[in-house]
Amino acid sequence: MNLGPLSRLTPQTAPQEDVVITHEDVDRAHDRVRVSAARAQRGFFSRFRLLWLLVGPGILVMLGENDGPSMISYAATGARFGIGFFIPFVILTFCMAIVVQEMTMRLGSATHRGHAELIFDRFGPFWGWFSMIDLGIGNFLTLITEFIAIRAGLGFFGVPPWAAVGSALVFLCLAVMMHRYWTWERTLLAFAIFNLVFVPVALLTHPNWHSVGSALVTWKPLPGGLTQDTLIIVLADIGATVTPWMLFFQQSATVDKGLTTKDIHLGRIDTVVGAALAAIAAVATILATAPLFAHHITAENLQGAEFAQALQPLIGRFGAALFALGIVEAGMVASVTISISSAYAFGEVARRPHSLNLPVTQGKAFYSVLFLCAATAGAIVLIPGLPLVYVVLLVNVVAVLAMPPALVFLFMLANDREVMGDLVSPRWANMLATSVVVFLTLAGLLFGISVIAPNVFAFLGGK
Amino acid sequence: MPSKDKATIAVSSSDQQLVLSSLEPEQLARLKKHLIPRRHLKGIEKFVMWSLRIYLLFMMVVVVYQVWASLH
Repeated sequence: MNLGPLSRLTPQTAPQEDVVITHEDVDRAHDRVRVSAARAQRGFFSRFRLLWLLVGPGILVMLGENDGPSMISYAATGARFGIGFFIPFVILTFCMAIVVQEMTMRLGSATHRGHAELIFDRFGPFWGWFSMIDLGIGNFLTLITEFIAIRAGLGFFGVPPWAAVGSALVFLCLAVMMHRYWTWERTLLAFAIFNLVFVPVALLTHPNWHSVGSALVTWKPLPGGLTQDTLIIVLADIGATVTPWMLFFQQSATVDKGLTTKDIHLGRIDTVVGAALAAIAAVATILATAPLFAHHITAENLQGAEFAQALQPLIGRFGAALFALGIVEAGMVASVTISISSAYAFGEVARRPHSLNLPVTQGKAFYSVLFLCAATAGAIVLIPGLPLVYVVLLVNVVAVLAMPPALVFLFMLANDREVMGDLVSPRWANMLATSVVVFLTLAGLLFGISVIAPNVFAFLGGK
Repeated sequence: MPSKDKATIAVSSSDQQLVLSSLEPEQLARLKKHLIPRRHLKGIEKFVMWSLRIYLLFMMVVVVYQVWASLH
């Protein structure tokens, strides 16, 4: 057996006859055998096969974070501000996501422990429970917004809310009932790639590429300047890219997939490819709704399906249907990943079996938490009169506010030499991570000031 | 000898060999029950963690106020 960095802190394996092996271990071992075989061969196709075998958590977490509320936030951004400041800004937020998510992948590969588990073990239950409460509340609120997006997207096709929520729950059941991490991951990846459906929708609007290029270079224009509404969109767009559930999900999925320290380089590629795909989809969504801004169509209270309806005169029924389907897909994929993130964290903290390689009989607690969270969130969305759009934007804002404390745990773990050995974060990564924490904290404080003392913005030259 | 439950019954000796040859020790599900030793938090680390905790609580109050103000 190979030894990882954590081997110095944990009891070593007993003699072979005393080792307790589970089905989860056997499934993971089969996956690792294929990785070892691909790694042993030379040539381009073997390298590509190795990459194919190891990608997954990074792409899933990034496309999963392009979820229902995120796509609605990007749509609101394009409709309110058009092509300008927010195009490069959204790309910047994905660069921040790469910095953060690379650390979780490295932690998972080096320690083979989930994020919640590591926080509880290294910092104790006091800080562990704080972290879990943040995650639990954040995940549950986000799950509600996923069902809002699914309901809104399917509403475009005339599907009643109860049927929309029901179909999402059935999709969730089918997605996790494969009892095999590999199958689940590949199936969900196939669905997640559908997130790029926003690219053809954007092309149907015939974007002004000169304006896009100019925005990327100058970060302008920002119509309306610095206002409280602008800040909410800024925070919602950050919250659409970096959120606490992503930290827990990617680390747990990395562990469940069985990545080791040898896989870290390709894990980084997985994360960067995921961020690139997600950034393309996000920018495409802004471009897709930018014509609403150009045509002075008010988008103050548009929901997912209403964006599609508003776009229909500009891009036709087919384009609008694609947009609505994109919102549905975003909500469905994220409802799976976020539910699993909660279930992983619960299993890690409660020391119960937690793997997608588990049959239901051996992972009752894991699957129960997963379904209970999703079903409750789905039921809440059916409450009549719920201010859905407001909930969506607020959830993203709350996610941003919860990030700095979560990032400090991640930062400390990634620099914990006892846990990480030589795989601690290099100085440049620490500087980037610190910048992300400071940036998110300042963005949150600016939002707080805008709420408490809105006149400050007039003093600063905004509105 | 550790007790075996239904999760381990169907695992054959060949599977066991496969697992032992292809997984790192800390990857075994049962070994994850071992706790990793607690780390000692320095003063500056406690200060940062408490500061951000207070920041989060304060900002949550701001969000609630924002919701209340919007609804009225």
